[in-house]
Amino acid sequence: MDVLSQLLGSGVAVGMIYAVIAFGYQLTFATSRTLNFGQGEALMLGALVGLSLVGHMNYWLMLPIVMLFGAVQGAVVERVAVRPAIKSKSEFGWIMATIALGIIFKNVAENIWGHDQLPFPSPVSQTPFTVLGVHMVPMQVMVIGGALLMMLAVELFNRRSIYGKAFVATASDLDAAGLMGINTNLVITFSYALSSMTAAFAGVLVAPITLAGAEMGAVLGLKAFAVAIIGGLNSGVGVIVGGLILGIAETTTAYYISTGYKDVPGLVLLLLVLAVKPAGLFGKTVIKKV
Amino acid sequence: MHVRLKSLIAALAVCASSAAFAAEPIKIGLSGPFTGGSSPMGVSMRDGVKLAAAEINQKGGVLGRQIQLIERDDEAKNERGVQVAQELINRERVVATVGFINTGVALAAQRFYENARIPVMNAVATGSEITAQFLPPRYPDNYIFRTSANDQIQSAMIEEEAVDKRHFTKVAIFADSTNYGQLGREDLEKALAKKGMKPVAEEKFNIGDVDMTAQLLRAKGAGAQAVLTYGIGPELAHIANDMAKLGWRVPMIGSWTLSMSNFIDNAGKNGEGARMPQTFIQEGNTPKRKQFIAAYQKAYHVERIPSPVSAAQGYDAMYLLAAAIRQAGGTDGVKVREALENLKQPVAGVIAVYRRPYTHDNHEAIGKDEVVMGEVKGGRVIYAYPADAKRAK
Repeated sequence: MDVLSQLLGSGVAVGMIYAVIAFGYQLTFATSRTLNFGQGEALMLGALVGLSLVGHMNYWLMLPIVMLFGAVQGAVVERVAVRPAIKSKSEFGWIMATIALGIIFKNVAENIWGHDQLPFPSPVSQTPFTVLGVHMVPMQVMVIGGALLMMLAVELFNRRSIYGKAFVATASDLDAAGLMGINTNLVITFSYALSSMTAAFAGVLVAPITLAGAEMGAVLGLKAFAVAIIGGLNSGVGVIVGGLILGIAETTTAYYISTGYKDVPGLVLLLLVLAVKPAGLFGKTVIKKV
Repeated sequence: MHVRLKSLIAALAVCASSAAFAAEPIKIGLSGPFTGGSSPMGVSMRDGVKLAAAEINQKGGVLGRQIQLIERDDEAKNERGVQVAQELINRERVVATVGFINTGVALAAQRFYENARIPVMNAVATGSEITAQFLPPRYPDNYIFRTSANDQIQSAMIEEEAVDKRHFTKVAIFADSTNYGQLGREDLEKALAKKGMKPVAEEKFNIGDVDMTAQLLRAKGAGAQAVLTYGIGPELAHIANDMAKLGWRVPMIGSWTLSMSNFIDNAGKNGEGARMPQTFIQEGNTPKRKQFIAAYQKAYHVERIPSPVSAAQGYDAMYLLAAAIRQAGGTDGVKVREALENLKQPVAGVIAVYRRPYTHDNHEAIGKDEVVMGEVKGGRVIYAYPADAKRAK
């Protein structure tokens, strides 16, 4: 019993890391039907910029600066890689362009911060504690809490503020929103900024656990993508559930079957979802009228 | 304008011809990962080799010729290592190559040197297969030499430390899913089997994994008293950190990579006490070592060498190679190999004084006697057994 609760606890902690990154994929997909395949790199840049800053200032002061940096970086991605593709109605241009930008960001990071994985200071104590037989470090609780808080904040913003309503309107019907006088281009740029901002925040949040380095985005970005597909690209609850499913599937498979097959059930689930319900477990099936 | 151009060309021609009069440099290839996850080892090796070459050049070079290093980054990728090998052999026409951190890259690239009859000084890669790839009689001569402790030596030492010295009867093996980890795991299993032991748990993890809870719970459930590791820095740090999280503290004993700076730094106090076989420990307990450490620190502005083992092995490899070229009296690959296999003068390296380190059938300079057990303490690697430090003197 102890073992199972520990596995579930660790699975939840890992799953929330995936969920918080997957959340970023959703934001841009909602408004522009495009994804930033450099999401993992946005996360990595956030973590490394945070690491450079945290040596000079208070941890809590560093957070808003990193988020601002993330927002600017996201806007740049949209302007450089995504807008030209949307303009020329290219179906796939943005895929290559965001991947290319991601690689450039990684190379830049390697040149600035080197190739090593660096320890990231934890803002909270690193002494492990036990709840209901589950051993955890305080940072894991902070990741879970921070991720939920961030998603809640974005949801509230969308529902309550006028800007958020423009965001939702663009998400539900781009052309109609444009006819209503919403500057949809600006909204799409904004969604990229918001998406990279959440990724940068996630980077700082998870780095004390995962270590910070130019390579950190690759694996995490890919797993988060699987989570976004499993959960559904237009469902906020979906990413959380998807993240938890993948996280718990990894830890329990590793324990009960074999550590060599740890990643298999998550990917099998991904294939199953794509075959049975392509919109994702919680996604709404949208009929594209041609 | 026209006259100036002509005179410029004339001046260049004079320069070129005068350079040809001076003895041509001896070109030595230097191939390793200077970027990516294994770069702390690659960069330390490169800097060790460069240090040795600079010292040799300062004393007048080899056979009156200067050593010129041609550095190429193999990025720890097999296919890139093959390209580098072809470039060094065919375009740069190197006399020999020092290099290789990654067992996979070495195995892929060495074939080209063997075919071209150009000696390779394998300075860091530890796979047992590396020097056995072109063994006689299947191949007439083997051109691959090594200055690192191979996995058989290392796994035997890990087993000896765990079983003979500390009397553990139940051990778990943690190995990553790369060539390095899985070949090492096999060597460890064989070493344990010699004592009639089987690991109670065998756990695998991937490069980039951030959570080792499941693996550790399995090992704990099986009653392991120690964790034996074959992996690289960042993942090893996750093992140590998650062990602390679970409140399950058993000793970590593993391959030499437990001395990597990215393990020590990322594991912090959780990595203290980890033990691993080392050919070199950054401690100036002989005059030669003191001088080497001081020269390294001065040249590269660091206090702690990122991977002291790689730096020392690279340094010694360069000296052994220079001695062989000197003895061969030229740079012909066949003659240099023959000289390496029959070095008449002892070569003073930082790891050991090499007296006939190689023969036609033995291409391993490092034997069990040159390897000591290291331990992480206070953020650096020290001698686990103080007697070893004294013995080195």
